[in-house]
Amino acid sequence: MTLTSHPLLRALRRNPTGAVLIALQIGITLAILVNAAAIVTHAIRKMERPTGLDTRDTFAMLVGGLSKHFNVYSASSEDLAYLRHLPGVAAAGVTFGIPLTDNGGDLTVGRSPGGQGPTVTSAYLPVDRQGLRTLDVHLVAGRNFRAGEIRVLSAADPHPRIGEVIVTQALAHAVFPHRSALGQSIYLGGHTPATIIGITRNFMGPQIGGEGDVYDTVLLPEVVTQYSMYDLLVRTQPGKRDAILREATRHIGAADPNAVIGYTPTLSHAKRLMYSGLRNLAVFLSFLTVVMLALCCLGIFGLGTFNVATRTRQIGIRRALGARRRDIVALFLAENALTVAAGAIFGCVLALAIGQWLTDHDGVARLDPWYLLVGFAVLALTSQLAAWQPARRAATISPSVATRTV
Amino acid sequence: MIGYYLRMALRSFRRSPGLAALMVSAIALGIAACIVTLTVYHGMSSNPIWWKNGELYAVTVNPLSPSQTRKAGLRTYGSDQLAYDDASYLFGSGIPKRKALLAFVFGTIGGVPGRSRPLPIMTRATTAGFFRMFAVPFRYGGPWNAAADRGPQPVMVLSDRENQKLFGGADSVGRTLLWSGHRFRIVGVLAPWHPLPRFYDLSPGNGGAYARPADAFVPFQWGPTLRDWPAGHMSCDSHRSAPSTYPQLLGSSCTWIGMWVELPTRAARRRFLAFLQAYAGAQRNAGRFHAVNVHLWKVSQWLSIHHIVTHQSVMLVNLAFALLAVCLINTLGILLAKFLRGAPIAGVRRALGASRRQIFAQHLVEAGALSLAGAALGLLLSAAGLAGVRLLYRGSDAAYGKFAHFDFIGVAWALALALVSTIVAGLYPAWRIGRRPPATYLKSQ
Repeated sequence: MTLTSHPLLRALRRNPTGAVLIALQIGITLAILVNAAAIVTHAIRKMERPTGLDTRDTFAMLVGGLSKHFNVYSASSEDLAYLRHLPGVAAAGVTFGIPLTDNGGDLTVGRSPGGQGPTVTSAYLPVDRQGLRTLDVHLVAGRNFRAGEIRVLSAADPHPRIGEVIVTQALAHAVFPHRSALGQSIYLGGHTPATIIGITRNFMGPQIGGEGDVYDTVLLPEVVTQYSMYDLLVRTQPGKRDAILREATRHIGAADPNAVIGYTPTLSHAKRLMYSGLRNLAVFLSFLTVVMLALCCLGIFGLGTFNVATRTRQIGIRRALGARRRDIVALFLAENALTVAAGAIFGCVLALAIGQWLTDHDGVARLDPWYLLVGFAVLALTSQLAAWQPARRAATISPSVATRTV
Repeated sequence: MIGYYLRMALRSFRRSPGLAALMVSAIALGIAACIVTLTVYHGMSSNPIWWKNGELYAVTVNPLSPSQTRKAGLRTYGSDQLAYDDASYLFGSGIPKRKALLAFVFGTIGGVPGRSRPLPIMTRATTAGFFRMFAVPFRYGGPWNAAADRGPQPVMVLSDRENQKLFGGADSVGRTLLWSGHRFRIVGVLAPWHPLPRFYDLSPGNGGAYARPADAFVPFQWGPTLRDWPAGHMSCDSHRSAPSTYPQLLGSSCTWIGMWVELPTRAARRRFLAFLQAYAGAQRNAGRFHAVNVHLWKVSQWLSIHHIVTHQSVMLVNLAFALLAVCLINTLGILLAKFLRGAPIAGVRRALGASRRQIFAQHLVEAGALSLAGAALGLLLSAAGLAGVRLLYRGSDAAYGKFAHFDFIGVAWALALALVSTIVAGLYPAWRIGRRPPATYLKSQ
């Protein structure tokens, strides 16, 4: 039996339009399915990265003062003395900028002055000696700041030497890829020299949305005073966060009638907000892909049902000539498989083209061939399932219909 | 004739209601996906002040040359905003018809009857020209006059939202409030106003392109007068040059002031650009600037250089059209099969005298009716879809949630897509059935 005379191809050749339409649908669906799956997986991996922080039990609080005589240093010191003695508080510190939000600043970190050589743009977070404990991050090398190293920026001493800084492992590796960063000199913002005295395990500082890694953060031993406001960062014992937040807001408000409490984000809320775009993109893509897949199956089912209806006599004759029920089912499934295979070839080409476009325009990583394979398997399986019911109905056609109308 | 064809179509749908429902819902899904993504895309990319596009210009002054700026990893035109010295000088020019300086300052609002403690308020420090230039609508009162800018006089304008919150929406013009501890008189209350995108301030550091304008507006000079620090985005050359005191801030090259000018004529535009270049040239000669790198940006250019339409939304629109394509191919296949199965009926009609063209028209009407029903259902689905999008983005500042509102553009798109569906899915099957010779079907009867 030559290939061209095979009954399978003959049936498809006689009425190719339906098969071509199914193949087209399969192709487009496969291309979208594969790329959407790649993007969604990428988004989920991004959202699952550890923050390195105790997001459940940490909150921040912006406190500001109205009067010209408002002194950030003394006001924040009073707040901290109160908070650190409050039962249920694990640690508290003053800062300017909030992890996991776009509240904060960034600066360049380089190995040589004047912005020469490789530089990394990193978020920074001014902290006091309790900073590491409040953030709940541990040092992997070096030491914490000493009491004398914390500087209070003031009008009298506007540009103090920064001196010592602590950086995350990610930042340390980015600036010194080949040797240990501990004890090395770096330049902040191109001109200000500093020494790395400690390296922490990775955590997410303020997310300014630059090019840098989410784990790039440099901790500066500073109390920022010129803005007449400051951020308090408070970590509580497990489960006490909301009660402490209420209590602290009430107390700090009552202590100074002119104090302004701006906002009090919890880190879990900040994290949710930070990923809302990614999460919603994943929801959109999954929803649209599932709808597309379902439509594709309905199309196969609908056309299959029609095919069976229009080919009743042909099937009857086959049955009369000795074809068994399962031969009929096999015929229809094989026809479908052939159509799907043709569509899948078209779909793979389209998927790679779309993947290339996404790589060029959106910086999405190149499409992994594994996705093509899995996507093909999913589509082949679901399309065969969709073709199953019409094929079974075809098999129930009795041989007698072949002779009835003759 | 159309009426008769429609009745025939209805009879055909009744013969196989399941298939008709499948086709209608396929078209509806495709159309709904397109409307949802297009509505968001349209909102993101629109120019909310298109009628003044050629008259309003953002001013940028970059002390570095384009190549120096690129090396520092910035856009070649530099910062969106200006340093205090530059902004003060350029604002003195008499060439523009109107002009505005823009900054955010850290303000508080107090002295409200029945409320004990001051609350922070998002305050825009600006100049009188802001309101007329950007066609800001007022509910009560109006903008302050230019003399109030120079004083500065303690006058303020409240947003509609803030006026609702403080005065329950009553006419509060003439009443006073404590703004940052000083007594200010309210001269105007805005009508609800939230241009999307917020074309005159797209800085991510100021909340981004979709943030609210502000809750209160005060004359720009109150910032320097009260030494009230800028609360918006500020960009300095380096960490070292970040100022610690207010006089240092005013003398620094840190940029924190946005500037817009209204130049209605080409001559005015040319003169102002020359003035800008002359200023930058003088600064270069004085050694303050490295290059003359100044720009005037039309609103549309300003929107495009800020890339506020994300690739993500372009991708979603493309995806929606791919979905529509699958839906239409689907419908095309089913319609073809359905028409061909109805060929004996068409054969009888041909034998009774119907022309090929009439058979074609009749089937096209059937496809058109399906598409219109699909579009109607699609509109309902897209309204639900947009509500879903709003729910997803509740509480977040992202653009998608803000644009997810149904508008007439959605209806227009639905009608256009219904037409496309009819042509794509209906034309070929109707043509095929019209060409069938009637004799084949009459034979076996």
